[in-house]
Parts: sequence; C-alpha cells; structure tokens
Amino acid sequence: MKRLDVLVIGGGPAGISAAIAAGKMGLEVVLLEEREFLGGQLVKQTHRFFGSKEEHAGVRGIDIVTELTATLSGMPNVSTWLEATALGLYEDGVVTVLHQGRMHKFLPRSIVAATGAFERFLPFENNDLPGVFGAGAVQTLMNMYGVKPAQKVLMVGSGNIGLIVSYQLIQAGVEVVAVLEAAGNIGGYLVHASKLRRLGVPILTHYTVQKAIGTSEVEGAIAVRLDDRWNPVEGSEILFPCDAICLATGLSPLGEILSQAGCQVKYVPELGGDVPVRDENLQTTRPGVFVAGDLAGIEEATAAMLEGELAGLGAARTVLSQRASPWSEEDLEKRVQDLKQKLSGLRAGPVGEKIRKGLGRLRPAGESGEDVPEIKPSQQDQPPLEELWKTGIPTPSQLQRKLPEEARKQPRPFAVVECFQQIPCDPCVQSCPVGAIAPFSTINDIPQVDFARCTGCGNCIARCPGLAIFVVGYQPEKGKATVSLPYELLPRPEKGQVVEVLDRAGRVAGEGTVLSVLDSPRMDRTAVVKVEVDPELAMEVRMVRCPVENVNAQETQQEHLAQPNEEEWAQDPTLPGDDTIVCRCEDVTLGQIRELIQKGFTTIEEIKHVSRCGMGPCQGKTCSPIIAREIARITGKPLDQVKPAKTRPPFGGILFEEVVRSEEESDGGEAYEA
Amino acid sequence: MKRNASVVIVGGGIVGCCIAYSLAREGIKDVVLLERGTLSGGATGRCGAGVRQQWGTAQNCLLARESMRVFENLPDVLGMDCDIELKQKGYLLLAYSGKEMQQFEKNLQVQHALDIPSRLLTPQEARDIVPMLNIEHLAGAAFCPTDGHANPFLTTLAFADAARNLGVEIHQGVEVRAIQQQNGRVSGVTTDKGSIETPVVINAAGGWSHEIGEMAGLDLPVFSERHEILVTEPVNPILDPMVMSFSYNIYCQQTPHGSFIMGHGPENEPPGHNQESSWQFLESMAKKATWLLPPLAKLRIVRQWAGSYNMSPDRQPIVCASEQLEGFFMAIGFSGHGFMLGPAIGTLMADLVLRRPLTWDVTLDLGRFSRQEIISEPSVV
Repeated sequence: MKRLDVLVIGGGPAGISAAIAAGKMGLEVVLLEEREFLGGQLVKQTHRFFGSKEEHAGVRGIDIVTELTATLSGMPNVSTWLEATALGLYEDGVVTVLHQGRMHKFLPRSIVAATGAFERFLPFENNDLPGVFGAGAVQTLMNMYGVKPAQKVLMVGSGNIGLIVSYQLIQAGVEVVAVLEAAGNIGGYLVHASKLRRLGVPILTHYTVQKAIGTSEVEGAIAVRLDDRWNPVEGSEILFPCDAICLATGLSPLGEILSQAGCQVKYVPELGGDVPVRDENLQTTRPGVFVAGDLAGIEEATAAMLEGELAGLGAARTVLSQRASPWSEEDLEKRVQDLKQKLSGLRAGPVGEKIRKGLGRLRPAGESGEDVPEIKPSQQDQPPLEELWKTGIPTPSQLQRKLPEEARKQPRPFAVVECFQQIPCDPCVQSCPVGAIAPFSTINDIPQVDFARCTGCGNCIARCPGLAIFVVGYQPEKGKATVSLPYELLPRPEKGQVVEVLDRAGRVAGEGTVLSVLDSPRMDRTAVVKVEVDPELAMEVRMVRCPVENVNAQETQQEHLAQPNEEEWAQDPTLPGDDTIVCRCEDVTLGQIRELIQKGFTTIEEIKHVSRCGMGPCQGKTCSPIIAREIARITGKPLDQVKPAKTRPPFGGILFEEVVRSEEESDGGEAYEA
Repeated sequence: MKRNASVVIVGGGIVGCCIAYSLAREGIKDVVLLERGTLSGGATGRCGAGVRQQWGTAQNCLLARESMRVFENLPDVLGMDCDIELKQKGYLLLAYSGKEMQQFEKNLQVQHALDIPSRLLTPQEARDIVPMLNIEHLAGAAFCPTDGHANPFLTTLAFADAARNLGVEIHQGVEVRAIQQQNGRVSGVTTDKGSIETPVVINAAGGWSHEIGEMAGLDLPVFSERHEILVTEPVNPILDPMVMSFSYNIYCQQTPHGSFIMGHGPENEPPGHNQESSWQFLESMAKKATWLLPPLAKLRIVRQWAGSYNMSPDRQPIVCASEQLEGFFMAIGFSGHGFMLGPAIGTLMADLVLRRPLTWDVTLDLGRFSRQEIISEPSVV
C-alpha cells in the first residue's frame, strides 16, 4: 500500500496541471496515466490553440504538452506512472491501479480525477464494419503512431473535433469526401470550417450517415438529409465512396470511477452527459475527491488546464490543512480566485454560453454561488452569421465589412481578417508590429483592422490560430494582385511555380504564380505563401493547390477501392435499422433494445439485466447513451430522467494473476511503503 | 396502482415473484407486488446463479429438487415461452478432510432417498470432470450432474411475466413505508406512491426484510450481511460444473454466456446494508481461484459487486405466517440460497395464505427457534 498526499488520475492537460499545482505545494504527488505518454488528447492536437497569451494561445497542443511535462519533470516530489490504469476507488479510500502486470494499491489523502471523456457512438446500419472509426482513434493512429488510417474518409460531425480531424486528415494526405452535420448549423468554430471549405471539403448540414456499405470493410457510406424533426428525407440519400467513416459525434465525461465511488452525478446535456456534482472549488460530493477537465464537463484544453490547477490546489489544501504550507493561505486564496476569474473570462463569450448554462444546471438546488456571468464583447453590433453557419463561407456583405475603403486598397497591401465569430482568442493583436489590430476589451472581441496603420507586412498571417488572415495587395502598374495566405500542407509550393488557385469553396479560380514562400522556424510550420493572381481574383483566392509529385501514386491506390453496390443502399431509408449494433461488447442490436422497451423495460438497469448491455468490459460507455435516447424517444420520458446503470470496478479489467501479484507483494513486504 | 388488494407482496426478487405467481395460479385475485427498485435488482440479481440439490437436510434437498423440476420444465409449468439459460452440468463439491468426506457420505444418503442422482468421487475422478482442477490436499468430492446454473434475471422475470399474465399487478419503483394494522391484524400498506388496503402482507424483501418486519412491529431474527462476487470476460466453455468447497470457502462456475462467476463468504463482516465492493475481496478471490483452478490466472476480471445475504439464526429460510400479527406472512432469511429454492417457496406460501396443509412436510416457521428445533444444514458457503 502506497500512502501519499495527492493522487491525480489521468495525465491529460487537466491532470498534469493538477499534479503541477499540488507539486508546487511541496506535496507528495503521483500522477497516473493510462497510456504510454502524457498529454491525453493534447498530444494529438497539431493545431494552434485559441485563447490569450497566458493560456498558451497560438501554441500547438503538442507543444503545450512539452512545456507542461518539462515543468513536471523538474518536480522530484511528483512521480508519474505511465501505463497505469486506475481500476477502482474503494470505500476505504484505496485506489487500485494496474501497472506493469500487477495491481498496486494507493491510499491518497486527496484525489484529483481527470479521466477525460469518451467518444459517443452513433447507431447506424453496419456500424460494426471495420473502417468505422471514432475521431479520437483516427487522431491517435495518425498523429501518435504515424499510421494513415484510410484513403478516403467521410467525417460525421462538424464540431471542433470533426473539423480539426478532417483538416489533419488532409494534412496526412487523406481525402475527406465530406463532413456531415445533423444539425442545421456547423458545430465547431467557423474558422476551422472555412479552412476545410477552401480545401474543397463540402460540409453538409442537416445530413447524417444512414448506413455503411461494404461486406468485410467499409467501401462507402450513405448520407441522408434530415428534416426539422430529425427524420430522414426519402430520396435525399447521397452515396459517398470511402474506405472509412469517422465519427465525431460528441464526447461524454468519463466518470465511471467517480459514480462507482458514490460521487453524485447529474445529467447535464450542455456539459456532455453525466457529470460529477461539485462545488466551486471542484470538490465532488465525496470529500477530498476533486474533478477537472472533460470529466467535469466537455470543454476545451485551456479550461481543462485552469480547472486542473484549481482542483490540484483544492486537493493540496485538504492535505495542507494539517501541515505547513509553502504558500501562505492568503497567496493560495489569491491564486484560486485568479483561476476562477480566468475560467469565468474564458466562458464569458458567446461560445461559452452552453458551458455557462450547463454549470448553472449543475449547481445543487438551493446552493448559492455565483453563476458565470456573461460578458458581452465590446462590439455589440455584429450582424447575424446565418449563412456562414451553414456553409463555412462568408457572404459578400460579411466580407465587405472586413475591407478598407476603396482609396486604401492601393498601393500598400492590407490584411483581410476573415474572422466573424466571437471566440476567446487574441494572438493577432499581439502579432501586429504597428498596432493596427486594436487591443481587445474582452478576449471574445472580433479583431478590427486600422487600415491607416496596417502596412500589409503579413506578420499576423501565421500567428492566427484560425488561419483566417490574408494579405491582399493590388499592383495596378503590373495589372496584377497578390494574395498572401497561410499554408500548412506538404509539400510546400516553390517560388516561381505556377499553381492552381482556389476560392473559399475550394474551386479552382484560375492560376497564379508563387512569388514567395515564408517558412521560418519562428512561424512554427505555418508557411505564408504569396501568390500573384489576376486582380479580379484577389478577393476570391484563399488557397493554392501545390503540384504534388506523388499525386499519381495516390490516385492509383484509390482505384483499388471497391465500388459500393448502389442497389443495396437504395432499398430502405429508415434510420437506424433494427439490425444496428448498439452494444459492441455483447453484440446487442437496436431491434432487441426496442423490443425490450416496448415490453416495458424502461430503465437502463432493467435492460442491462436482460440484454447484458453494459455488462461487458466497456460497462455501457458505447450503448448506454444510445439506449437512454431510445428510451426517451419511445416512452417520451425526458432524457435527464433516464438513470445510467451502475458502474463497477475494476475498470478496464484485470487478469487474476495481476491481482495475485499484488497479494504476493503485500505478503512479502512493501517495496515502496511510504 | 390498485388501492385495494387481497395480498400485497413486498419485494420483487425471485421469492416475491415466485410467490406472486403461485398465489395467482391458485386463483387468488387482486395480488399486488411492490418492488422499491427493479425486479431482481437485489440479492437475486447479484447472486452466483447456481441451482443445486446437494443439501444435507432432507427438507432443503426436497425444496431444491422440487424447484429444480420447475426450472427444468419452466415453459411448460408457466405456459409461456421462456429461456432461463439453464445449464445442468453439475455441482462439484470438494472435500479437504476425511471428516468432510464423511459428511458428504451422510448427505448422499439423504439425497438418494429423494432420488437426487449425486455420487462421491475420488480426487482423480473429480479431475476427470474438471481437468483444470488442482487436486492438491483434495480428499474427495461429491457430484450431482443435474445441478447447475440458471440466469437469475431471466428466471425472476419469467415468474413475474407469468404472474402478470394471471392478473398480478407488479409495480417497480414503489417503496413500502409503513404497514397498517386494525384490530390486531394487517389492514394495509403505505407506500411513497399512496396506500393500498389489504388484509395480507407478505414480507419477501430479502436484505430489507428486517425493516419490513419493523414496520409491522416485529423484531424478526434476521440481519443482512455483505457478500461479494465477481465476473470475468466470456471465454469458450472450459468448465462444466459449478465448483464449490465449504471448507476452502469458494464457489465458481462458468455461465452459458462464457463468463466465470465466483465468490466466497466474508470474514468478520459486520451486519448491515453495505453493498460496496472491496479490493480485499478482489485479492482473496484471485488467490483462491487461481490456486484451485490455475488456468484462470490468465482470465480477465471485468466487474465485481456485492449483495446482501439475509441471514437467519440457523442460516435457513423462515417461511411462515406471523403468530403475533394476523395477516402478516414472511419468506425471509434465505442466507444466500433463495434463488434456487424460489419455486418451492412460492408453493409453500400459497399453502400458508390459503391456510391449508403444506405441500411438503417441512419446518420453516419462526417458532422453530423458540422450540429449539434449529435446522442444522452442513452444506453452506
């Protein structure tokens, strides 16, 4: 049994931040990470982060991990256990951990759970065919292990994950045939959507995947339009040949270890599902157990890191109440308040509305505590973004607002900041050497260019995490114009090359000549390509297509993809069919679930009893949300009243021999008794 | 929910559902069963899913045999389609001393008198049935090939469905809060969803039967005790019978689904309603199981949980009408073996409620404790 001060479960951004915070208090901390590397989802994030400078704005996720782990490795009192899975939190406070073929026991004085999230699965016909991936799996294969997951991918879901993973797939040389979005609007940040559109990827709103085609693997997918009541529209089916379907249909907090340990959880759809109830210091209803990150509600890495520190300090405080602290109580409290304020600021804008609403719902009835206030961005007169939400492409009138007056358009080039959405992000302000992008009064402001000051230097292009800034210059004397644009694909175009130039929808607008390619280390892998085009194209061209030498090889490979059988999918457009697998552990179909619900089994617990859904190794992570929705749909019961089934240790499972080794260890004396 | 019932059964485990079915089959109308949680959500759904007839007392053997006959013919008995995943590959009971072997011999005489086809085995013969068995220190074994497994959820639900078909009202999510009396007899129950008038209340509340007794002003001699259990991932069939030892304190079987389910009795467990799992159980279970069945070392445990045994002073059920309160009946104190006796208990309770002689000559009344007629059942884990 290892006794220690703070046990942090989960080595993602929240967990690492918690471990660092508790480590700074001089406490003995152990950080557990299930994978063989720290960083959680952050290590897969090759894009630059939004946010403000203090919160790593403009830094790529993978580089943030490097910074965090460097801090961690300088702390001798914090030990990191990789490939260590927390199996259960027991009533005597012991946490069992599977590590290197043996069960270990920890008895911490306090705990920070930062176990993250799991991907929600989507029921559709043939969803058990090889080639149906979760977006997280695709990212892991591609970004962690360097494995190209497919040749042609259909992305389902246009939230930030769907958009970002689509972009990364293209960077990895994979074709993304389309992004489907069941809702009426694009779910993620619009700049991410625009990045995809100019690479030629269609985004279809009101569409979902109906069926995977193929016999032994995915050979295609049928997408179908949904009407306003989410029912498929007959005759609207589109067949996409593809060899993978990637599901980015949302995340849910992974709180099984907490619900098992008796922490109260509550269904809050705005936070992604069942989230642990906690106080403003992130302490759950089980004293000494804190939460942070996606487990506490699906949000972004920046919030996860702030929450991690807050939870880490909270956990440290419960220990330090009996011990001398390296920080005065006053300083600690000051930092805690500071973190809370930062979190509020982050959630204050329009994109934080959902989180604010969710957090409000989470507060126990009758408990006081400040709700996160909405802080209106200083610019109140933003026109609605309607079309942009559906297409990812700004309208001419929206663009018009981003341009200088006619007289300013020449001779000096000028920046066109195609950023329309109020999001918490400000690196462009810092990037401008002449102060032409006015400082924000709130982090959610939209950048405004002072064209009198703007020199068109292009410094901002590679610094914008949304790749939304372009510099346009008119050269009437040459009868030409130049467009400088951000470029993150390989290979880079070369100076002097004649390339196809693409508009905001990825259509070929014409040809252009590459004048320069700036790609210095300071630009951190976002190159700036300056291309010369006809003046009438200057406000159209936002991408170039590099003549790729291995294009031919790629096309040959694609020819090997089997052609789907078109007759097969034309038959039945109902969605999703009874044959659809909902429980992958026990192979239970949606039809079986529907039959049980019709028979009167209207709770997940009862359905678990008779169908074994949730008794498998995943303990219902895949099937429970689907079953809950089906119960709600058939019985009309509100979703938040469909209780989840109980979760049981040991999570992830453990071999008998691995448990026995733990027993042997305690018989033979402790190797590391504190 | 009916506001007037002839009988209210408290508890929707195997015992409550079997009683509901038996009463309805006897033609009793207006039977209502109330379950606080979900059917089979208590001890029944948490049990080891074993059904055996190898007992040491004639009445246990008899009740188990009669129940087994019902399990074997359930679709015919209930007159409906049902599959309870019955697997009759036997119970292998292990003896680790000459004394234990002698006890098995005595038990066999009792069993044979009731046509239960059990037999004694040498350690080697035991290994023929379970090739992975570690026979170190093994003195011998007893085996009954018709014992085995049934799925407690499906079995309970089959009886519940059959009861419903005969007109029983079953309500889940309804908690009994009080039992009303008038003129010294039961007059109704109060629940969190309203009251029901009834002259008869049957306490089949398993782990909470002492509390139900308190509502009737009775201090029933039962208490709850946590017992833990675990299940593994499913694998191909490699273990036919339930393997069990009273002295080594273990039971372990492979279900038709393929998963292994196993448990052992607790040490120094305080009475109470604790149903939390413990890491201590995980460790002791792993040690015991891998010693007895070494190949299990490579098997993955996927879940552990706990349930309440409702313990009686002699670890035998109490099935009777209360002598203190007219109209109050009980089927309680099953001490860990209620599942396999359920159908017979249903029959006995119907006899009791109808005030007729018991179908079988058994003594399960509460009065046995004051009469010092303690049932001495040697074969329990």
